[in-house]
Amino acid sequence: MRTARRLKSLQARLLAPLLGLLTVVWLGAAVMTWFDASHELDELLDGHLAQAAALLIMQQGHTHEEDSVEDAPSLHKYAPKVVFQVFHEGRLVLRSANAGTAPIAGNAQGFSTVRLTDDAEWRVFATRGAEHDVQVYVGEQTESRSSILWAVLQGVLLPLVIALPLLALVGWWAVRQGLAPLRHLSQVLARRRPQAMEPLLIPDLSTEMVPMVQAMNGLFERIEQMLVSERRFTADAAHELRTPIAAIRAQAQVALGAGNDAAQRDHALQFTLAGCDRATHLVEQLLTLARLEAAPASAADAVAKADLSALARRVAADLAPTALARGQTLELEALAACQVAGDETLIGVLVRNLIDNALRYSPNNAQVVVSVAIESGQAVLRVQDSGAGMTEPEIARLGERFYRVLGSDQPGSGLGWSIVKRIATVFGAQAHVSRSERLGGLAVAVRWPR
Amino acid sequence: MRILLAEDDSMLGDGLRAGLRQLGFQVDWVRDGVAAERELASGDYAAAVLDLGLPLKDGMDVLQAVRASKITTPVLVLTARDAVPDRIRGLDQGADDYVVKPVDLHELGARLRSLVRRAHGQMQDVLRCGAVLLEPSARRVSLNGECVTLSTREFDLLHVLMLNADRVMSREQLEQQLYSWGYEVESNAIEVHIHHLRRKLQPDLIQTVRGIGYTVQRTSAPT
Repeated sequence: MRTARRLKSLQARLLAPLLGLLTVVWLGAAVMTWFDASHELDELLDGHLAQAAALLIMQQGHTHEEDSVEDAPSLHKYAPKVVFQVFHEGRLVLRSANAGTAPIAGNAQGFSTVRLTDDAEWRVFATRGAEHDVQVYVGEQTESRSSILWAVLQGVLLPLVIALPLLALVGWWAVRQGLAPLRHLSQVLARRRPQAMEPLLIPDLSTEMVPMVQAMNGLFERIEQMLVSERRFTADAAHELRTPIAAIRAQAQVALGAGNDAAQRDHALQFTLAGCDRATHLVEQLLTLARLEAAPASAADAVAKADLSALARRVAADLAPTALARGQTLELEALAACQVAGDETLIGVLVRNLIDNALRYSPNNAQVVVSVAIESGQAVLRVQDSGAGMTEPEIARLGERFYRVLGSDQPGSGLGWSIVKRIATVFGAQAHVSRSERLGGLAVAVRWPR
Repeated sequence: MRILLAEDDSMLGDGLRAGLRQLGFQVDWVRDGVAAERELASGDYAAAVLDLGLPLKDGMDVLQAVRASKITTPVLVLTARDAVPDRIRGLDQGADDYVVKPVDLHELGARLRSLVRRAHGQMQDVLRCGAVLLEPSARRVSLNGECVTLSTREFDLLHVLMLNADRVMSREQLEQQLYSWGYEVESNAIEVHIHHLRRKLQPDLIQTVRGIGYTVQRTSAPT
């Protein structure tokens, strides 16, 4: 949770690692300083202790009165932190004012750390003279070493304590300044009209933001293209829907006004019904297309398989009566089975649209051949007819929704090809229109990659 | 009244033609823009119903071409393009009326009559010549307030003459206005109808201008 929240603020994302790293580095430096300083200090002060002990041994030449202990004068306020004892032949002859009468470090020679009667910790150096008749102890309170170390350490840590908030403040300000172009951009975006699709023009754009603004402009462009195509689609759809409705209305009114003219009334009513069928077909096609447009652009990953041959057989059987009624021949040349990638229902819609178009736009008595084959490893559905075919410019315009070849008298919706292309795209297939070598009319081939 | 109908949709065209015929119009139907332009240029139509999405030549281009060649036939644009900019463009290009599909046939008829009336400088629907009153919308003619029964052709002939009152109309012009395609016009058909009109209404309502044609006077001679 905390990371998620922290990630939300660029400010925090930039500042937190920076200040964190700074603190760690500084603390590391402090620890190293501590070890270094304490090591050096120990060596130095131990050296002093040894040196002092040596001095005391050297001074042993001078004679002491029997049975008397000399107390050394205390000359400095730090004197109570230092202690020494000098024994001669087992007898205490010289000591500091704060030293007791018992040897402070027993028999141990060299450096040792002991706790004395005052319950403080002392660093003690014990040594004997060359003739082993003198025993010298020199001690120093360890606490005084610690206070020196602390003083050194404070010198290191204090700047950090002061600098950290200062750095945070400066960092915050710098980041804020650095993010100003981002705030400016958001203001520009907030002020934009929702319909505005022109590219963003921001002067003095920082280099880091150029890709983002470019991406946004690209997005605006794509949205605009989509809107334009949507608007055109709506206008075209309105046109295509209004015409059959206008026809239905006109024919119904003619039927109403026919009076005693039964022939005219029947004719008008027939046309009214035909108009309803046409409007229904158009609405169905529109809905199919709308559903397809809502579908993701590529469903090639989907593992669904459809049997192209079986679908072609079924659709051809469905449409055969229509063909027969117009004296058209509908032939099917299909493999026993041919599996292609794709949803069965959608591929069925594709096959139906292709065959339906071929029959619809071919004259009476025309020939339509549907074939399913494997060509160089690719499954190919081909629908050919002996109709008038199409000219190159007509083929080029075929992709436009609602485009129908002028003068064709068939009540098509002009959406069939759009639907075919869309379904093919969804399943990674390619649709291609050309002139039929075999029948002279139009040939449409849909290829599925291997 | 002879109307040119330019509509590429066979079902709608058929319905409009039948419907307008029921309303007493003579209708010639063309299905593409080139034919529409040709007919508008050559034929003598009282008005035209023009679809915009025509094959071969767009309706808007037909309109532009026709107006450019000074043909003043009233044109009613009947289209599915309903956007305001489309309407504005249509009217500015020379359309006299702009109607969006679907349209009521009776409304379409009324709009056509209104276009024809205005094209002839008439402000009111009813036409009057002396004691003769003609109501195009009701297809009724009365003489001194008494209703007179006329055949379709007789009514149409009288309508054309009264619309063009004070002008001499040749027999060819009258035939052009009266008969749509596919009618075999007998050579003396106009004379026969004129004869009937004179008998049913007033003998001196329609005057013959020998060698030129026929005319009615707006202020007809008192009976």
